[in-house]
Amino acid sequence: MMHKNMESMNNIFKKRVVILDGATGTQLQKLGMPQGVCPEKWCLENPQLIQKVHAEYSKSGADIIYSATFGANRIKLKQYGISDVKSINKQLARYAKKAVKDKCFVAGDIGPTGKFIEPFGSLGFEDAVNIFKEQVKGLLEGGVDIFVIETMMDIQEARAALIAVREISDKFTIVTLTYEKNGLTLNGTDPISALITLQSLGANAVGCNCSSGPLQMLNLIKKIKPYAKIPIVAKPNAGMPKLINGKTVFNMPAEEFGKIGKKLVSCGVNFLGGCCGTAPEHIFALKKQLAGLKPVLPLRDAISAVSSATAHVMLEGKSLPLVKVGECINPTGKKELQKQLKAGKLALVRTLAKQQADKGAKLLDVNVGVSNIDEKKTIVKVISCLAQITRLPLVIDSSKIEAVEQALRIYPGRALINSISAEKHKLKKLLPLAVKYGAMFILLPLTEQEVPKTFKRRKQIILKIFKTAKQYGCKKADVVVDGLILTVSSNPRAAIETMKTIRWAAGNFRVNTICGLSNISFGMPQRALLNATFRRILRKEGLSMVIDNPLHPLSRYNRYAEGVLLAKDKNSAEYVKYCKKLEGYPKINEKNTEKIKEDNPAKKVYNAILEGSREDIAVYVRHAIKKQIDPEKLVRESMIPAINHVGFLYEKKEYFLPQLIASAEAMKSAFFVLAPYLKQEKEKKVKQAVVVLATVKGDIHDIGKNIVALMLKNYGFKVIDLGKDVSSSKIIKAAKKYKAALIGLSALMTTTMVNMQEVIARAKKENLGCGFMVGGAVVNKSFANSIEAEYASNGVEAVRLAQKFITRGK
Amino acid sequence: MTLKFFDKIHVEFPIKKIYSRLGFVQGVTQVNEEIDQKIENYISKAELLLDLKGSFLRLPVIKKNSSTINLANNIKLKSIRLAKMLENSSEVVFMGATAGAKIVKEISLDSRGRDVTGAVIFDAVASEFTDAALEWIAKYINSELRRENKILTTRRFSAGYADFTLKNQKIIYESLQMKKLGVDLTEAFILKPEKTVMAVAGIGLINDA
Repeated sequence: MMHKNMESMNNIFKKRVVILDGATGTQLQKLGMPQGVCPEKWCLENPQLIQKVHAEYSKSGADIIYSATFGANRIKLKQYGISDVKSINKQLARYAKKAVKDKCFVAGDIGPTGKFIEPFGSLGFEDAVNIFKEQVKGLLEGGVDIFVIETMMDIQEARAALIAVREISDKFTIVTLTYEKNGLTLNGTDPISALITLQSLGANAVGCNCSSGPLQMLNLIKKIKPYAKIPIVAKPNAGMPKLINGKTVFNMPAEEFGKIGKKLVSCGVNFLGGCCGTAPEHIFALKKQLAGLKPVLPLRDAISAVSSATAHVMLEGKSLPLVKVGECINPTGKKELQKQLKAGKLALVRTLAKQQADKGAKLLDVNVGVSNIDEKKTIVKVISCLAQITRLPLVIDSSKIEAVEQALRIYPGRALINSISAEKHKLKKLLPLAVKYGAMFILLPLTEQEVPKTFKRRKQIILKIFKTAKQYGCKKADVVVDGLILTVSSNPRAAIETMKTIRWAAGNFRVNTICGLSNISFGMPQRALLNATFRRILRKEGLSMVIDNPLHPLSRYNRYAEGVLLAKDKNSAEYVKYCKKLEGYPKINEKNTEKIKEDNPAKKVYNAILEGSREDIAVYVRHAIKKQIDPEKLVRESMIPAINHVGFLYEKKEYFLPQLIASAEAMKSAFFVLAPYLKQEKEKKVKQAVVVLATVKGDIHDIGKNIVALMLKNYGFKVIDLGKDVSSSKIIKAAKKYKAALIGLSALMTTTMVNMQEVIARAKKENLGCGFMVGGAVVNKSFANSIEAEYASNGVEAVRLAQKFITRGK
Repeated sequence: MTLKFFDKIHVEFPIKKIYSRLGFVQGVTQVNEEIDQKIENYISKAELLLDLKGSFLRLPVIKKNSSTINLANNIKLKSIRLAKMLENSSEVVFMGATAGAKIVKEISLDSRGRDVTGAVIFDAVASEFTDAALEWIAKYINSELRRENKILTTRRFSAGYADFTLKNQKIIYESLQMKKLGVDLTEAFILKPEKTVMAVAGIGLINDA
């Protein structure tokens, strides 16, 4: 008789590999379960058959069998008109217990609802938790020994199910997700991030099931093992489905499955079983192969890491680059952000998140504290939005405990709380929340009564907070100590005390450390200099994270700033003197100076087109005119050769489409500046050749045609662009009116390209005497020839063709 | 025969495919850091404009021959090529995905001259994300089918392809209730917003080895 509680499970996996059962569905089908029925209902109606499947797995050597309750949740059962969720779970759990007669553990099996959970889908998070709770209660009544949450493809659904279990039961709980060929879940979660999130949320074992065979799972297991503080689970399919003689089959023999199982164990798997395509013989083979094999136990007991739904950031080790926490999503002093948050708008939040990520932030601090705002509601909204648009893990920054709680509950990752101080109410309420949701937290060394000025006092407070946190089960790896930066303008020793705090916390106490840098320079001139210098000093002391504005350009270390920070510059006199000198210089814009320093403006114009510098070219063209360069000569000798060269590079594929278009747009900008000067020239010239362009009737795709228009205009053609979905009569009318030399037609669909033929036939009938050029995704040369038109596959070819027509016409 | 909607689809960023669609050739195309940064900025902006949604519907095959497939809901599809693809399928799936109207509107405004470079990049981003969203739906369906010992055909068919005429777009559009996702169908059977795709696939059994 085995002991079926968490303690015994923890003991077993330390001694040997725990064997799980194999596929249930395919076994039931072999026993006659028809296609399309509700498997749970069918099992209830055929108890002897489901018990037979359970018993066979138990007999084959499984230590744990899964109850036949994979789809026994309210949403799935409703599809079959079943509403008594609790009773169906209870009964199926009882059948499992009865079948194995205490010879192995029975896991209450919880599968996905088939819906995506907010913020990734429409099912409310609390609704999902309640749906799973209903199932958990039934399984508990049925007497399950442990729980297994499996085949999850949405990390948020896995979280909802795990929270549901944890809020009702402390039984051993396994969570496995299903990963696609690219190594990610369907929603893009990687296995390390999933592990970090789920193990911190209270899963007792984490891993993967379904989707792939045992060989494909090897890499995945190798990846996650170093990050796991809990056992690793694998439940692979019997290989990958293969097409053999026109039929799709899982064809990995049991013996081979068992042998690869051995490899999985050597990579770190502690719980191993089978999923789709596996049968009792596969489990028997595993048992045989794994007999006497020593498992690789979890390699760590804690981890300093945070995660989002799709990424994670490790916070371990001084040698790692300084982890930058973007501070911009904070309405303090930002009127527009305050306004938008109050109005429930998130456009600026989205932009700030993107910008900070682009500028190197690794985490994003989220603070929505505005007066008269529902902070709890707002933070949930902001976090839901950010979870979808950024991969960066979030830092929950709020003084309102209920807002922190809501944020942690719905955040689909492992968050960092900013912050927990020694204020009694915060300690009492925030620490249990951090533990429940597995969050890391910033330990801020201050109390209700004081903001300690000295390192000595800060150390006492840090130790006091950590002692309490430890009682809740927190480890040093869960903590980031804030160095508490006070402003150097009011306290010359402020920087030194922070340095000492960081040195001790990183070096002696051995925890991660963080600082909000900008406080140090408050009230001082040239703040960026002080901030950058202090950042370098603190990094040397072991600082691992910094909260700052990644959108501000980073300044450099400065020796005068160092004098202030190290309290060597009395009253900051030398520094202030240095700053005054700096302020005396005129502002230098290096780029602008360089622009007009160039002696050869025509060459600059040429290069600007080559580089697609739409923003700069106007300056260069104006400079060329100022230097008395003949506008026509500038076009002829610089601009046309430049755009020709761009076309050449494009055809050689050394340039790709964005570069071609950027160059064409730079050319257009240059023409815009030159237009008044070229007007007089133009009057002397012959009339411009006219090209009528249109996307044919029925077709609404016009980007290709618009590119051709842009290119032709740059080469001096007069383009009459009729737009999209244009009737043949309108095209003919325009060609007549403008005496077009060429009609250019575009179509993207096979069904609409036939309309090109109609236009050409009508033009010929009316003796317009113009040429025809066609293009578009479905059009090719042979189709063009068949309707007596020329074919242009891209903008460059279109220009060449148009030039050919004009020359021929002349 | 439950119609399933996805209000938010999250796909892996198809960055390589976006570059490839724009004509980038590894080892040949030369992009300096400044231009690369500009392109990345456009792609980031485009991503904010996307609103990927989709739906799918499983329909049992009632009857089929070499050129016609009769499905539940009185749906009849005529195509020899499609019938050939579905010869081992007992069920058919209709699926559709859209990038939403916002990005298409931007592409349209930009391509008329406001910012053509932006337009071509947005266009590539929207196209690739829409394809990725349809691929995502197919993966989702497969993950459900796996439990039933079934699998989706690797090939898919869209209306307008081979002898499966564009008129069929209407049948698929209505079955998927694409209107609810903000998609319209023109008289010429073109989907609006234009970054929308729909397809038909078959469902077959995974057999014992």
